[in-house]
Amino acid sequence: MTTNPTEDDLKVIAEQVWSSYLDLDGSSPLVPVPAEKHQADVTASVSVTGAWRGHVLVSCSDAASKNVAAALLGIEFDDVAEEDVADALGELANIIGGNVKSLLPEPSALSLPHVHVEGTQGRYPHVTEVCHLDGTWMDESVTVTVLESTTDLAGASA
Amino acid sequence: MKILIADDSRVMRQIVTRTLRQAGYEGHDLVEACDGQEAFDKAVAEKPDLVLSDWNMPHMTGVEVLRMLRANGDQVPFGFVTSEGTPEMRQAAEDAGALFLVTKPFTADTFKDALDPILG
Repeated sequence: MTTNPTEDDLKVIAEQVWSSYLDLDGSSPLVPVPAEKHQADVTASVSVTGAWRGHVLVSCSDAASKNVAAALLGIEFDDVAEEDVADALGELANIIGGNVKSLLPEPSALSLPHVHVEGTQGRYPHVTEVCHLDGTWMDESVTVTVLESTTDLAGASA
Repeated sequence: MKILIADDSRVMRQIVTRTLRQAGYEGHDLVEACDGQEAFDKAVAEKPDLVLSDWNMPHMTGVEVLRMLRANGDQVPFGFVTSEGTPEMRQAAEDAGALFLVTKPFTADTFKDALDPILG
């Protein structure tokens, strides 16, 4: 029986992502912190539709988003362009969202990522928060949030 | 060998390229496609020896690309590199003729396990 993902699930997924792509030498892991440290200059999201419906969001500070892009692309922080940030954060949301989806009831489908910059998170009406993971990475805020749709299928807007 | 890397994320195409190198597969001719349609077109035009494809891409999903290639009689070795690895997707990939499905996040060792039978 599949149950909703938990903060511990998000920690395991984040640890795998960080050790594979963002913290190869183990010196700069994502460190869980209290929620009040949350900062969301950039938000990337993927949506899940089907037997379970909702969204997986990755939010972070502007500096963290550039750090993600620099690490994933293997370039210097100062060389990161705006489109690099959108691509990198979108892919981060895609990877984390895909792994979260594997914990959810099937059949379901994962959307392509959407990225919102300059503090706009996008609109997620009629949802309830399932779990979230607040962390800092290289002294910058990174948060993963799982939102479940509360509308019935007839009212779902996908 | 010529390897076609299909993913709508430039970041992920770069990570795949880097991981191929880290796994010891250097000196191959790498071709990139940024969506499903381009993946199909380049698989036909470039005649790669291996396709490494994302699943969820604009215009055509990776499994649709694979099915269309097989429907056209193209038997190019084809593997998925995707963020999702549910049993249903693995079955769909296998049924369509994929050799493997590597889930993101992956490491050089993951690539070796999947690719050594083909590139080793």
